[in-house]
Amino acid sequence: MRLNDINELTLPKKRDEEFIKVNFGELFSYDFKDTQTYNFDIMGLEVRRDTKDYENSLFDITKSLDNKQVILTINSNIPEPICLIHKIKDNETFFTNSLKIEVKENVKASIIEVFTNTSNNSAYSINRSFEINENADFEYAKIQDINDKNYLLFNLDINQKENSKCKITNFEFGNGFIINNIVNILDHKNCDYELNGLVKSQETSNTANVIKTVHNAESSISNINYKHSLKDYSRAVFKAKSIVNKKALFTKAFQNSNTILLSNDACIYAQPHLEILIDELEASHGATTGTLDKEQLLYLQSRGINKDLAYEILLNAYEGKIYHNINDKLIKEFLQTYERKNYV
Amino acid sequence: MLEVKDLKVSINDKEILKGLNLNIKEGEVHALMGINGAGKSTLVKTLSAHYDCVVTDGSITYKKKNLLELDVAQRANEGIFMSFQNPIEVPGVNNSYFLKTAINEKRAYAGLNEIDTMDFLKLIKEQTSKYNLDKKLLQRDLNEGFSGGEKKRNELIQLLLLNPDLIMLDEIDSGLDVDAIKTVANVVNAMLDGKKSVLMITHYDRLLELIKPDFVHILNDGKIVKTGDYSLALELDKKGYEGIGIKDETK
Repeated sequence: MRLNDINELTLPKKRDEEFIKVNFGELFSYDFKDTQTYNFDIMGLEVRRDTKDYENSLFDITKSLDNKQVILTINSNIPEPICLIHKIKDNETFFTNSLKIEVKENVKASIIEVFTNTSNNSAYSINRSFEINENADFEYAKIQDINDKNYLLFNLDINQKENSKCKITNFEFGNGFIINNIVNILDHKNCDYELNGLVKSQETSNTANVIKTVHNAESSISNINYKHSLKDYSRAVFKAKSIVNKKALFTKAFQNSNTILLSNDACIYAQPHLEILIDELEASHGATTGTLDKEQLLYLQSRGINKDLAYEILLNAYEGKIYHNINDKLIKEFLQTYERKNYV
Repeated sequence: MLEVKDLKVSINDKEILKGLNLNIKEGEVHALMGINGAGKSTLVKTLSAHYDCVVTDGSITYKKKNLLELDVAQRANEGIFMSFQNPIEVPGVNNSYFLKTAINEKRAYAGLNEIDTMDFLKLIKEQTSKYNLDKKLLQRDLNEGFSGGEKKRNELIQLLLLNPDLIMLDEIDSGLDVDAIKTVANVVNAMLDGKKSVLMITHYDRLLELIKPDFVHILNDGKIVKTGDYSLALELDKKGYEGIGIKDETK
């Protein structure tokens, strides 16, 4: 099965402005031997047909192969995060999985998802849809730890209702070919949306984050903050587009991408982008690219800390800012003790 | 302990030290004075292997080893400590964690076991309370948001806990109030046990009053041009560089 060969799919192209520099070719042209929808090992979850028209055609890939969507409804506060661990083993297989998470009014909840694999030349095509209702507070963390010659296409559609909070943190640890496609259309007032990411890549890892946020209602906040530390031949794309429409008075829209390149061959294409149609707002966007501060390295070494350790300490400090942004203590603990070997 | 012979050092292809000789024996206190741009900071930076400094000629022997063959961390673990003129801020690195790591690196270099956390905390409490240094600095990130005085006090805490053999103070008195200078002097004087040596750069007599040097060197245009005892510093304070026959070669 080749994605390029599916007739009803209109796949995005590398030259499309929205996806410029995202190298889809390898994923779309790969001939997978099998396709498979895998289900959650949770009893009693409702399954519906996914009839929503999403913002871009990347969501249609999963839908075209299996348009059923599992519904996870959270009706009351949950004291501990729900952990969903995904592990694929079969080689040469295109896996699909679609989940909608509904967080009901006034509910506080958190979820961690981990994506790992022991497969070769396989792909995850994941659709996620978050519906966060009035006054709900939802925190979500995703760990991607997929190894070389495997793919993850992660599509996330967020729908926030009035006065809701949604905080998402993505950790990209694996060496695979990764595309995160994250869309939040803020149609309701007073929503708080925070999207953080740490892309820690090495070898030939290829990670793209394509993020679209649209402010259509008053007094909402979107805060997008990504850090990349790229080693070896790794490559990353950060494309964040935030649109503030005329009705979205008093919006706060922020985008930030920081990158540390740890080798001469690593590269980043970072494009934060704001489209603003009003004056009554706060907004900023920025992108930095550099290496570790040699003055700081020297200072640590001058107290007897060897170069490799000093390097590691500074890198941890840089990356640590993303960990510190997490609110849920249990998610933080999970991440601090996370090791790939425990999940494969 | 330290023997510098005919040392020539360039920064950005400009020769700063032009054949400097200096000999520091165990237990000696040396003060280095000189007009701005004479090469004082370049000397201590070279001794601690700063990446800016390129040694083009000469030799440095420290504890009978060729210092130029050791990297920055090895020099520190051999007992060389340089107090920075303006210590850099390192956000995200906890000061206490940094200090414990540095102590353990030094211990590992000497073939000793890591310091136990309780022993580390005890050591901090003992040393900071002895000199009235605020140990709350250790709860913060390394130098982040520290005032000039706090940065210097933090250097003193590191100095006390790392317990080096050659203490190099690069204008540690700049920007400090009278009480803070007294604290610096108390710490350094208490560390002087007849084995440790000090090389301090200063422009002012105030620090030298409190830490009495055995030798005062005047550096000019990359060379030591005059050496004397503490009375040379007093004479300099009274007459100025021109008054003691030092011509500013940078003009």
